[in-house]
Amino acid sequence: MQDHLSKIWKGPIGLIASIAVLILLFSVLNPRFASVENLQNVLFQVSVPLIILVGTSMVILMGSIDLSAQGVMGAAGMTWILLSPNTRLEIDLGIWAWVAALGLGLLLGLATGVIYAKLRVPSFVVTLGTWYVGLGIGIILYGNGMLPSLTDEALARWPTRLTLGLPNSFWLAAFVAVAGALVMQFTHLGRGILAIGNNELIARSSGLPVSLMKVSVFGLAGLLSALAGILATMQLGSGSPDIGNGQLFTVIPAAVIGGTALSGGEGGMMRSTLGVFLLIILNNGLVLAGINPDYQSGVFGAILIVAIVAVAWPERSRLKVAK
Amino acid sequence: MNLPAKLREMASWHTMSPLLVFLAMLLTVSVLNSAYLGPLGISIVTASAAPILLVALGQAMVLNIGSIDLSNAAISLLGSILLALALPSLGIGSLLAILLLLTLIGAINGAIVAYTQVPSFALTLGTLGILQTAALVASGAETIYVSENRELVTMFYTYKLANAPLTFWIGVAVAVLYWFVLRFTVLGQNMTAVGKNETGAIFSAVPNRLVKIVTFAISGFTGGLAGLSIVAQAGSASTSGLGSNLLLPGIAAALVGGTSISGGLTNPINVVFGALTVAFVPIAIQAIGAGAEAQSLVYGIFIILVVALTTARTRDAVIK
Amino acid sequence: MTDHHAVLKLTDISRSFGTIKAVNSVSLEIRRGEVVGLVGENGAGKSTLLKILAGIERPDSGQIEINGKRVNFRGPNDAFKAGVGVVHQEQSLFTNLTVAENIDKQNSNRRGLSRFGIQHWSRLNREAAAVLDKIGVKLSPKAIVGDLSFVDRQMVEIARAVCVDPGAGVTPLVILDEPTAVLEQAETEVLEREIRNLRRFASVIFVSHRLDEILRICDRVVVMRSGKLVSDRLTRDITKDDLFISMVDDVAIAPHRSRSRPRASGNPAISVRGLSRKGRFKDISFSAHRGRIVALVGTNGSGRGALARSLFGAEAHDRGTIEVNGKPVSGWSIGRAVAAGLAYVPAERKTEGMIGGFSAARNVALVHHDALKTGHFLSPGRLARLAQTWFDRLDVKPNNIDLPLSQFSGGNQQKVVLAKWLTSPDLKVLILDHPLRGLDVGASQAVNHQIRRACDEGAAVIMIPDTIEEALEMADEILVMRDGELSARHDLTVQGTPAIQDIMAEMV
Repeated sequence: MQDHLSKIWKGPIGLIASIAVLILLFSVLNPRFASVENLQNVLFQVSVPLIILVGTSMVILMGSIDLSAQGVMGAAGMTWILLSPNTRLEIDLGIWAWVAALGLGLLLGLATGVIYAKLRVPSFVVTLGTWYVGLGIGIILYGNGMLPSLTDEALARWPTRLTLGLPNSFWLAAFVAVAGALVMQFTHLGRGILAIGNNELIARSSGLPVSLMKVSVFGLAGLLSALAGILATMQLGSGSPDIGNGQLFTVIPAAVIGGTALSGGEGGMMRSTLGVFLLIILNNGLVLAGINPDYQSGVFGAILIVAIVAVAWPERSRLKVAK
Repeated sequence: MNLPAKLREMASWHTMSPLLVFLAMLLTVSVLNSAYLGPLGISIVTASAAPILLVALGQAMVLNIGSIDLSNAAISLLGSILLALALPSLGIGSLLAILLLLTLIGAINGAIVAYTQVPSFALTLGTLGILQTAALVASGAETIYVSENRELVTMFYTYKLANAPLTFWIGVAVAVLYWFVLRFTVLGQNMTAVGKNETGAIFSAVPNRLVKIVTFAISGFTGGLAGLSIVAQAGSASTSGLGSNLLLPGIAAALVGGTSISGGLTNPINVVFGALTVAFVPIAIQAIGAGAEAQSLVYGIFIILVVALTTARTRDAVIK
Repeated sequence: MTDHHAVLKLTDISRSFGTIKAVNSVSLEIRRGEVVGLVGENGAGKSTLLKILAGIERPDSGQIEINGKRVNFRGPNDAFKAGVGVVHQEQSLFTNLTVAENIDKQNSNRRGLSRFGIQHWSRLNREAAAVLDKIGVKLSPKAIVGDLSFVDRQMVEIARAVCVDPGAGVTPLVILDEPTAVLEQAETEVLEREIRNLRRFASVIFVSHRLDEILRICDRVVVMRSGKLVSDRLTRDITKDDLFISMVDDVAIAPHRSRSRPRASGNPAISVRGLSRKGRFKDISFSAHRGRIVALVGTNGSGRGALARSLFGAEAHDRGTIEVNGKPVSGWSIGRAVAAGLAYVPAERKTEGMIGGFSAARNVALVHHDALKTGHFLSPGRLARLAQTWFDRLDVKPNNIDLPLSQFSGGNQQKVVLAKWLTSPDLKVLILDHPLRGLDVGASQAVNHQIRRACDEGAAVIMIPDTIEEALEMADEILVMRDGELSARHDLTVQGTPAIQDIMAEMV
């Protein structure tokens, strides 16, 4: 058991060190950074990308790519809010709003998986399509009416409310992340994902249910994107098809910085999690340090480049192939 | 039927399908609502296709070597802003300078991919972020109107040939040029070789690093032409206006034009039809009578459908 | 240990692809504890037969009985459940998973419903340890396969192949599909010991192109030719020549051309002094003259492959000098090597040697294209003419230069790879890494013929042969490498032919 735990944490020393350095640096620049409120704020901000990342990491570990998160978030977020107490419609389905929104995400994910695994369309293309489809569903649901806002105070405040000192949003995300890590390490599906990512042809010839696994993973990713969409909508307090805007630009760099190889088979859930923390702490710290938010994408971009170059530098060779 | 003949048949289906898809769409619209196919329709479609086409051509060249350039739309946006800023004082010379600069940015992308051997997907995602910030900073997050020397660039849009603006014809000319390069030059042969099997290419003394630098530079250069077409059409440039959302349409146009996402396969001339198809979707939706809200949805389904229909499949290949 | 209970019985198995009968009415019995060699040229139907046994292909007709029971494999899993384990030609392990997981990969999905269930690490490790123990291999079940040496990985493969449920009372049938193709002599010995070990509780089908090996290891040898089983005899009753004749008797065999072995004279085409690369090879000095063939022999870890790559500029060297035509080189790279007249045929033909998706013609024109240009542009007409010339000269089949190279057979692919280098206007040094890997007897002779011809036309050849026999047949000079160093050299034009045992002794 200890063995496996250590395996989960293998190799993130550099990441942990960078996060520590950032925390130190930002605390010096602005004492407010190290405050309890700000820590809670960071955890609040981490939640949504972390939930998406669990699904996206599984897809990347399998050697595929998932670009659809933002679209699925829009579709699920709009579905959820329109079926929850809101300013637009007089429907309150309670728990069924969750079922409907999560079900829509699952369905979009499963459809993506089937098209990818059975029609053999590259995942980049299918998930690009699902992105648009999800966004389209969100836009259609939004229609031309007024902005749908949450009317249930308790629901709107749930994400920020603290339990044991930490925001509920984060508890939810942490639960998902731990579950994801356990799935990767202790289930046949998780090990199968790694096997497919390492060598799909062998996985197929060893009789692993490769197509079934692919469909399951994309289904799971869709479900988690939907959950992230609901949480983000709750956090915002109102619905928008664009609720997921910019998440892809956090999630994929986070996975890559965490050491998850885009070619599949290498990396892990915990490392991706650290990647999200690094990016969110960076962003939060820069804002507190008084840097224009316009610079955020530039800073993320620069960090991403530095991180991937640092990882790739020692591995350079004349014969290495980089796509 | 023997195997070679079968292959040839598949190849020809693959070669023809982008054109056929476009024609099918044209036919559908003409049956449902032929008003959209008049001179005005042609000029609207080709005008909106022009920047998509130029971005897509650069993307197709990069996809052909097995990489991807997520930054090329941001390059064109930055280019349009710089052009709008510099045109009043520097005149047409600024266009050349900016094209040169953007080509250089592309070459830097290529050099980093070639020499540090990072995945282009991750690298250009990073450059995308940096270029977005650069565009925001350069424009001050405002719309830059070209006050003087405006006609120097808008003429590329106002001058029409067979109802299509000059910007579109520039795209077509570039497509023919790239097609020629791929088919009849050693550089083009080397590009496709790298895309099909880079290791094999390296062992055959193909200068793979140079190939990457040149290809990404081409993507930057073509992105610059897309920036020109944006300013030509709008007479202004901004980070949120016309042309601020070209990345995905550009990739979609390359794919619908029969370019393989896994490398080693593209035909720039087909990318023209890919771009026309992508630009035509919103019009087709209107023609069918659906609301503008449905556009994204149809777009998504369309991309999947077209690629699913046109992808050449080998039985045992691994699809990533 | 052999008893007369048949583990496997094939009756009239046939399988056609289009009009070609890949397997034509094959009947075969394999008894418990028996090691049976299966030989035949490429295209003789061996792989199709193996695929049928492994459940990958289904026969059109005929029946398969295992332990007296008729079976009908619907997929690899069925075959595995019946006790048939295959060690494929290319290693088929997951390098990012543990040894235990790799051994178990096929078992785990036998558990039906628990496909998506919980991974029982402790049970998994226990079971894997038991299997490893049974075949006498000392490996940790928890080790990540990617960290293991090549031969250790091969052992994991074998462990996987014999890993059948002991409770089921099944005798495992292990199929080894050219397991030695990429192993070196010393490692092959380990494997041979392993196979002798296996027959205590399993039956083995052993496929190899190396007839010596077959005769050493197997109790019985069956020969396939054009889909038919043409010979089935006990090893003690046959000789290598018998096997050779039954494999190819209706094919005209070109007589071995006796080459005059030229002595080294004049300036060497290439010479290296004190060449070293950390962890790979050190202090290598030798030279190769035009018109002569130098063979590098050694085990897999001897560093000879790395040396070849460094000579070609594909990998950097740390110390020492390379001189080409008497001039020391600097900033050595593939580009400069090719410009200086070097050529290199890699061992991994499909991934390194060629661009499979390109037409054969484009592959021929990949390196030397100056003659194909009109102005700055490639002339399709000249390209086609050049490719056609080489197709005719090397007798490539099918004679269609526009076909993607991936669609040719291994031997014909290798001819095209050679042609790509032979188009050089001034080929000085031809480096070949395992040029015959995976080729059948006929194709091997054709490729060897081209190598000799290039040599006769003035190239210095440096080759890494599959076997010592191949080195003795081809080379004028043999350099033996051990642990990254040159341990011996034999100039066959001066000293005559050395004994195989001596060379083997110098290798280990």
